[in-house]
Amino acid sequence: MIRQLSIFIQNEIGSVAGVTAILKNNNINLRAIASFDTPQFAILRIVVDQPEKAKTILIDSGFAVTVSEAIAVELDDKPGVLHDLLQVIADAGFGVNYIYSIVFRNGKIPLIILNTDNLEKTKKVLLDKGYSVAEQEDVL
Amino acid sequence: MIWNETKECMSRDEIHNMQGARLKKTVSRVYHNVEFYRKKMQQLGLEPSDIKGMEDLHKLPFTTKEDLRDNYPFGLFAVPQSEVIRVHASSGTTGKATVVGYTRRDIEIWQECVTRVLAMAGIGANDKIQVAYGYGLFTGGLGLHYGAENLGATVIPMSTGNTQRLITMMEDFEATAIACTPSYLLHIAETLEEAGKTDKIKLKVAICGAEPWTENMRKEIEAKLNLKAYDIYGLSEILGPGVAADCDAHMGLHVYEDHFIPEVINPDTLAPCKEGEVGELVFTTITKEALPLFRYRTKDLTSITYEPCECGRTLARISRFKGRSDDMLIIRGVNVFPSQVEAALLEMGETSPHYILIVDRINNLDVLEIQVEVEEVFFSDEIRKLESLTKKIAHVLQTALGLAVKVTLVEPKTIARSEGKAKRVIDKRKLI
Repeated sequence: MIRQLSIFIQNEIGSVAGVTAILKNNNINLRAIASFDTPQFAILRIVVDQPEKAKTILIDSGFAVTVSEAIAVELDDKPGVLHDLLQVIADAGFGVNYIYSIVFRNGKIPLIILNTDNLEKTKKVLLDKGYSVAEQEDVL
Repeated sequence: MIWNETKECMSRDEIHNMQGARLKKTVSRVYHNVEFYRKKMQQLGLEPSDIKGMEDLHKLPFTTKEDLRDNYPFGLFAVPQSEVIRVHASSGTTGKATVVGYTRRDIEIWQECVTRVLAMAGIGANDKIQVAYGYGLFTGGLGLHYGAENLGATVIPMSTGNTQRLITMMEDFEATAIACTPSYLLHIAETLEEAGKTDKIKLKVAICGAEPWTENMRKEIEAKLNLKAYDIYGLSEILGPGVAADCDAHMGLHVYEDHFIPEVINPDTLAPCKEGEVGELVFTTITKEALPLFRYRTKDLTSITYEPCECGRTLARISRFKGRSDDMLIIRGVNVFPSQVEAALLEMGETSPHYILIVDRINNLDVLEIQVEVEEVFFSDEIRKLESLTKKIAHVLQTALGLAVKVTLVEPKTIARSEGKAKRVIDKRKLI
């Protein structure tokens, strides 16, 4: 499992830049970023090299932030691999809440980050099927 | 026309003497029937016999909305329940309603006052009037209804909520008058315009009130609908609509002084204001049986003049309202206090207590948006949970306020904190 930060932002011009400015000023490196929006607000999800520090700084800067776990799975860069992964999860009876990815890993295989109804059980199913599930240190 | 010339055109001396005599009787009756006032007068060392006439009015204690709330529901009633034939209620500052009651005589006086208003606007027995205020606990609908029936006009009791049906009946029944809030009437005007029906309607008079509006809005309504619009004022604590209204001169609202004594005071020092000086409007009822009130502080800011009007009436006139001396908002005729929002949010316990009310007029309808800060502990990673939280807040507030609200979640610490009294309201309607 990896740790991601979820940040509440208003759906307004410049709101994501407000977050990235703080990360930049504090020398925190982004590994992955995804934003999920509604007409009024958005949740920005990020994976960073220093999650605790990022959380503290963002909260001090006036953001609502939670740290939560997500599953990160290594996938080969070939057609159909994501489908196979999702089929495994669907067959196991779990719903996927969201997906995003980490592509740049210094030459290592890209990671797909996903959240389901039951992270622990999903992780177990994936391991049983031979998938490689990354831990926090793998994304640093 | 002047419906009751003997009462509306008395000399100032006659008014003064009538008020003095009625005040004296009211004080004596209230002292013996309402414990709240008896105690207040005793604390001030006042006997009923100390109030001999108008010159003693200033000796009486003030009454506030809080006093009504503290004596919820019927504590200030001066008659046994068997004599009360109706109650109305409006929202209070902490969720409990302000309850008012009427005897048969009170209802008769109320309808007389509303009849005077309608006659002053030129409405008569040959008119068909659509009453498009809410019917129910709110005094607007039934207040106008009884007054119009008493006048002999044909009442079309529309109530609120269905503009299409209102317009269909306006056209088919050839309605000649309408009573509703000014913002709703502008909305109706635009709906008619869009449907290309403005020329087909026969409206000639509108009686508008229950919310603050400007002289410019009156002119806009008159131009759009080719009718004459008049201002009606009232508050349920004193009567309901019909406490005061304006005439063709539109030079202030005539107060029915044979039933209510108006005063204008400085809201800080409580000293009387000079004629023409802006202050808080205060009313003492001198004919009400079920709920007589001494020096009730309306919190509405206005000025008063006793100069005779060009219409021939000698009744005192209050100017268009300049605002409120408290933070109450009037939105679509509903009284809203920011403290109600705060109480509801705190009770719900799933949001931060930082909020701001934004009132705007969109397509001539007042809309209330409430922005609430998302707090760390209540922030969920899942969008659907935040959306259901938004819906829940909207539901809780709608129940508390009796008004549909739009809820927007905003980032923490984005709502300005101010030292001292927090700014809780942004009113974009620019009415005053």
